[in-house]
Amino acid sequence: MNTRSAECNDDNLLVLLDGDEDSDLFRRAASHVDSCAECQRRLTELSVDADHWAMLREMLRPVEGDRPESGLLCRYRSAEHVPWRRSVVDEATVKELLAAPSHPEMLGRLGRYEIERIIGTGGMGIVLKGFDSELNRPVAIKLLAPHLARVGASRQRFAREARAAAAVVHEHVVPIHNVESDHANPFLVMQFIPGESLQARVDREGPLSVAEILRIGMQAASGLAAAHAQGLVHRDVKPANILLENGVERAYLTDFGLARASDDASLTYTGVVAGTPHYMSPEQADGQPLDHRSDLFSLGSVLYFMGTGHPPFRADRPMAVLKRTCHDPHRPVWEYNAEIPDVLSDIIDRLLGKKPSSRFATAVELQDALATALSDVQQGKTGRRRWKSPRHRYSWPVVAGFIAVIVISAVIAVMFIPPFGVGSRNATLPTATEAVGDAPILSQSPLVELQSVDPSPALQSQAELDSLSRMLDSLETTPFPESQYQE
Amino acid sequence: MPQPPETRETLIRRLSNAADVEAWDAFVEIYEPLLFRLARAKGFQPADAEDFVQEVLSAVVLAVGRWVEADRRSSFRAWLFRIAQNLAIDFLTRPKHRRLGSGDSQIARLLEELPARSTDSSELFLKEYRRELFRWGAEQVRDQVSEKQWMAFWLTSVEERPISEVAEQLGVSVGSVYIARCRIAKRIRKVIREYEAQTK
Repeated sequence: MNTRSAECNDDNLLVLLDGDEDSDLFRRAASHVDSCAECQRRLTELSVDADHWAMLREMLRPVEGDRPESGLLCRYRSAEHVPWRRSVVDEATVKELLAAPSHPEMLGRLGRYEIERIIGTGGMGIVLKGFDSELNRPVAIKLLAPHLARVGASRQRFAREARAAAAVVHEHVVPIHNVESDHANPFLVMQFIPGESLQARVDREGPLSVAEILRIGMQAASGLAAAHAQGLVHRDVKPANILLENGVERAYLTDFGLARASDDASLTYTGVVAGTPHYMSPEQADGQPLDHRSDLFSLGSVLYFMGTGHPPFRADRPMAVLKRTCHDPHRPVWEYNAEIPDVLSDIIDRLLGKKPSSRFATAVELQDALATALSDVQQGKTGRRRWKSPRHRYSWPVVAGFIAVIVISAVIAVMFIPPFGVGSRNATLPTATEAVGDAPILSQSPLVELQSVDPSPALQSQAELDSLSRMLDSLETTPFPESQYQE
Repeated sequence: MPQPPETRETLIRRLSNAADVEAWDAFVEIYEPLLFRLARAKGFQPADAEDFVQEVLSAVVLAVGRWVEADRRSSFRAWLFRIAQNLAIDFLTRPKHRRLGSGDSQIARLLEELPARSTDSSELFLKEYRRELFRWGAEQVRDQVSEKQWMAFWLTSVEERPISEVAEQLGVSVGSVYIARCRIAKRIRKVIREYEAQTK
């Protein structure tokens, strides 16, 4: 055609190589190349040189493991990479792990359990809704993820931790019925709680009411206290691990101690944190040894989440979240939500203390504080200082004034309120009453041991961390400030 | 032997510079398949080859501590590739019973050594490194193009089938086969060059 000579130029061919495939320019140039042998040759020349074409052929030529028919290259990746690269767990994958079902409408069978459907998937496993054919009851089954089941250490840890978790019997902890560790894919069987997770609730409804926050927080704290009494640290307290039962106002903690089993793979040598790091404590984020107070920090983050709809530390990348958790102060809850009373905002501030020693000493203490706050809220005895500057800026005279007011009102209260007033207040709070009843048992249990474990290493490293963090700030311009982390 | 998780946590803590973490991720992208392939080329069974991958990467993790401690001004990326190359070649050359002990003295020695000593192992290493780099680049580009475009490239360039035949098989015009294969070849070169520029 006579348009050829005009169309044949390198600019048009470069559009074909680097340009936008949806542009008119591209389409015009493409239709020309269809019929112009010279441009086809020139296009090949312009893309990469002959040596590179030869190199491509040589390097991509099928070797063992490749699937040339589909142009797929075999690039080995270790099991640790698979979970976060291909995290989609579908029914077909789960079916492969199960025996054939007894009923066609079921997914499959796992021992004596008929599996109905997938409830959810997490970093370390798959949660299934099943039915116990012997005991005739619905169950939730947590199956260790296939990539973890292959790792001997993970299997052992899963079994060990699951047994420890099964020993925690408490009204706000999901009961574990059975642990099957000999199975190809180890699993544990839990009570099925019809309802949704706290994460799902807040995602759906936004921040919760103050009374709800306090009630759920109190129940979660009491569940934690029971676990801590067994010497068990949860390590993964987060909204997704708190279940809310339908119809009744009851929260359950789940996944006790299991976080540890997944550490082997979720925190890989690639430095990738598989799960959400948003609720990790600073000591956890920093790889320091941790105790039960790490859980209190995480629960503080959960309270924060209930009040604001988001976790206290947010950033684009997991690493950045961890860094902020370790070094940055959080924005007070009341700045986001005017409904949050001072007392709750203060509890959260205290829980989010960077140093474990600045938080509540025990979950029981936290539970009591939340119970008191709840009764105050229900009696309308809450104050707000939204319009005031943050607490740390209060001068001593102001604090002294506050204390004086509190003391005076306490004296007046003692003088005028009859003794049975205390009893009637507790009657509206059954869980609080039980909590008080639980307290003596807890205080003589291994929790005491937990506390008596010399906290100084953590403290020292925390102090060290703080001073290093300050140094880091001043060294922001040096090329490799992380070398300052070395002891 | 897989490293204990504590080591991994330490690594994360040490690499608190986000750019270094990215460098590490990019490094692992190439090195995992590379080490696996090297071990297989040396006659390792798949399970042993997996162990080899873990072993070398664990040794590199240990070495990272030294890099952070040493007040070096070289880029982490360049350092990482050098130490890993030395470690991999060392592991491959060493008789199987000699394992890297606590690592420190050996790593110190490896740190001082220049890369690419001329042994069979280092030749094999360089050859397989190059292959892995191309394959990684190809994988990156494959994710960005359609299946048809990829097959147009693969069948004509790697399998050297005639362009008109491939066009017919894929049900597209001859021109679009030319365009697809040239675009892809150029893009693969681009991602490889970018990767190499960052590791030098």
